[in-house]
Amino acid sequence: MRRSRALAAVAIAAMTATGAAACSSASTSSSSSPTATSASSSPSSTPTASITAWIVTTASAGQPSPSDAAEKALATAFDSAHPGDTVNIQFVNNDNYKTQIANAMTAGNEPQIFWTWGGGPLQQDIAAGKVTPLATTSQVSSGSSYLSQFLPSSLGAVTVNGEVYGIPIQGTQPVYFFYNKKVFSQYGLSFPKTWAELLSDVSVFKSHGVAPISLAGGSTWPELMFLEYLADRIGGPSVADAIQSNKPDAWSNPAVTEALTDIQTLIKDGAFQTGYTTLQDNGTNDALVYTGKAAMQLMGDWDISSILGEDASFVSSGNLGMADFPTVAGGTGNPADLAGNTASYVAISTNATAAQKAVAEEFFQQELASSAYAKAQVAAGEVPVTSGASADFSGDLASYETQIYTDVRNAPNFQYSWDQATTPGVSAEMLTDLSKLFALSMTPAAMESDLNSYAAKDAASS
Amino acid sequence: MTASASTSNVSGASLAAAPLRKQRGGGPARRGRGSGLADWVGVGPPLLLFLVFIIVPMIVAVVLSFASWNGLGSPKWVGFGNWTQFFHDPQAHSSLWITVKLVVFSYVVQTPISIGLGLFTAGKGRLKSIYAAIYILPMLISTVGVALMWESFLDPLLGPLQGHQAWLSNPGDALYAVTLIIAWQFIPFHTLLYAVGRRQIPAVLYEAARIDGANPVQMFFRVTLPQLRYTIITSGILMVVGALTYFDIIFVMTGGGPGTSTRVLSLDMYDQLFPANEFGYASVLAVILGVVGIAIASVMVKFSGFGKMQSQQEGVA
Repeated sequence: MRRSRALAAVAIAAMTATGAAACSSASTSSSSSPTATSASSSPSSTPTASITAWIVTTASAGQPSPSDAAEKALATAFDSAHPGDTVNIQFVNNDNYKTQIANAMTAGNEPQIFWTWGGGPLQQDIAAGKVTPLATTSQVSSGSSYLSQFLPSSLGAVTVNGEVYGIPIQGTQPVYFFYNKKVFSQYGLSFPKTWAELLSDVSVFKSHGVAPISLAGGSTWPELMFLEYLADRIGGPSVADAIQSNKPDAWSNPAVTEALTDIQTLIKDGAFQTGYTTLQDNGTNDALVYTGKAAMQLMGDWDISSILGEDASFVSSGNLGMADFPTVAGGTGNPADLAGNTASYVAISTNATAAQKAVAEEFFQQELASSAYAKAQVAAGEVPVTSGASADFSGDLASYETQIYTDVRNAPNFQYSWDQATTPGVSAEMLTDLSKLFALSMTPAAMESDLNSYAAKDAASS
Repeated sequence: MTASASTSNVSGASLAAAPLRKQRGGGPARRGRGSGLADWVGVGPPLLLFLVFIIVPMIVAVVLSFASWNGLGSPKWVGFGNWTQFFHDPQAHSSLWITVKLVVFSYVVQTPISIGLGLFTAGKGRLKSIYAAIYILPMLISTVGVALMWESFLDPLLGPLQGHQAWLSNPGDALYAVTLIIAWQFIPFHTLLYAVGRRQIPAVLYEAARIDGANPVQMFFRVTLPQLRYTIITSGILMVVGALTYFDIIFVMTGGGPGTSTRVLSLDMYDQLFPANEFGYASVLAVILGVVGIAIASVMVKFSGFGKMQSQQEGVA
């Protein structure tokens, strides 16, 4: 009996150990620990390396996107031009990305190339020594760096203390209203130029059973776009500047109050589709527009690429309308101001061997900064931020891209997305409060005072 | 091993070697042998896992709760700063209140239904085992699967209920909807517990009650429920502690929304961690959750007599 009990105990121990081993090996996240192959017999004497890149995908609803395809093509081209080197692109979901990269950096296994939107979060990463600088601002402005071909304004979000830490990818991404032209003409409407016209159009659409505005409120950042534009149209760029630099009482600005109140008016008028508080940015929000169930959506210009992937005929038939955010009566902001992402970027982490760093920089220089990529971006509906890009616009998308490029060059002010420009702490609190405001469970006054005190605390502790 | 010592044909040496055994059921287990190597080999790995995955992280959480850290670089010690922040944080209090509501609603909804279904399933009859198989189905679906399934079903735009009440999108309704969906997921498990508990009640007790002239209602309250005492306590502890720390289904279905109407404390902790990058404050919330869970479980065990495990069947043959 004793023996069988001992055997049973050993069996249990063995099973537990196996189970523990199986659990741990099954749950590792995509490992991207540096692996350098030994020097190959290629003519150059630089050792070859394999690197991983995390890039946010624009594909939604399971459809492939032209942007993703263009980026994958870069890796393929690089691999064939550099035998022995490999660039593995892993496409990651937008909404989870910040969590994912933060996790990876804490654990020390972030990829060699990682996506970033710049601003506050990147500054934290730089301060922690996690990012490799690419060039100094003087190198860029003197023309001696490969980054010199990018529009100077596009590098601002990734420039810290005179060094540039990222290279633009996916082009510039201002936010526009994308609308269904057929739905508008069906009810005899043209896109509203003023806020008052927008409100009246909302009631027309509602009376015909069409959701006026499609909103992916579940992801919260689409809601932020309304606040960004309204604040700018009403009070000009100083409103956002004060908030982004954590000035005291920045949120009590009357322009902010008016913007928040206008948003609640829009909600009470039933402008958003049923269930707007929980719909995530998963393609359904786009589908509402291109199937005619909703009239318009306020979204970044990557939506062109997303819709191309989901319903290309909607774009090629000329049905996709793109319009500026309406003006607000009595507002002091310039109607040509833009809000959105001046660009998105990829950066090189310090979790890379010397060989991997060299390969990553070559990849940036030879692929991301190439004219081939700029052409592929244009075909995918993106607007590159290289000077001279307008020469490439052609085909179905030419009108959108020309307009975006012209708008970006001429915009008196291009406001950077508030959830990127502020610190992560303030950004998280702002998004939480905004989602409550949109759900009508928080008043503008309560939101302002909460954010003022939070920003003050954040400024004091940094 | 029935080595009851009888003095008739056993030598002195073997008498000393044979273990003594107390004859009363329910008392402490046999003593005198000590813990052998076999016991440690058996207990070792689970104990190690428990230490590594439960004790060590708890200690780390307590330590981090006194620091401020954004996940990169090194932590900055702030003493009781995070703890005072907790006492002044209306969001954390609101999350705590939502968690309490979730726990109470879950218990009130799940227990009567589980008892009812469990007793029903424990009965005899071929059809009952078919019903049992159907009730078990929700348990076979992963939590994420349950969340996605119900989210699609309740989708106000594209789901079968489109045009009607948007349960998950209304701040006022979302918490109730989530409670009911969690109940749907876990009632089968508790039903099983109660069914098994019911089957273990000796029939003689019911016969005795019938002889005494009890009607079915009296039998339920005087025989069934008392006999199910420990099942009720077990089920209750699992329900309460489970609802207290529940995260996955709420995260997938509503993410704490709309607004913050379903932001239970575990979700608040997650949101402090990502995207706010406040490891220190999140650790405060983690410690509070852990302490409250342990406290509730301890209190429930102590005051219900669960620890003593007194038999409910004294006098039954």
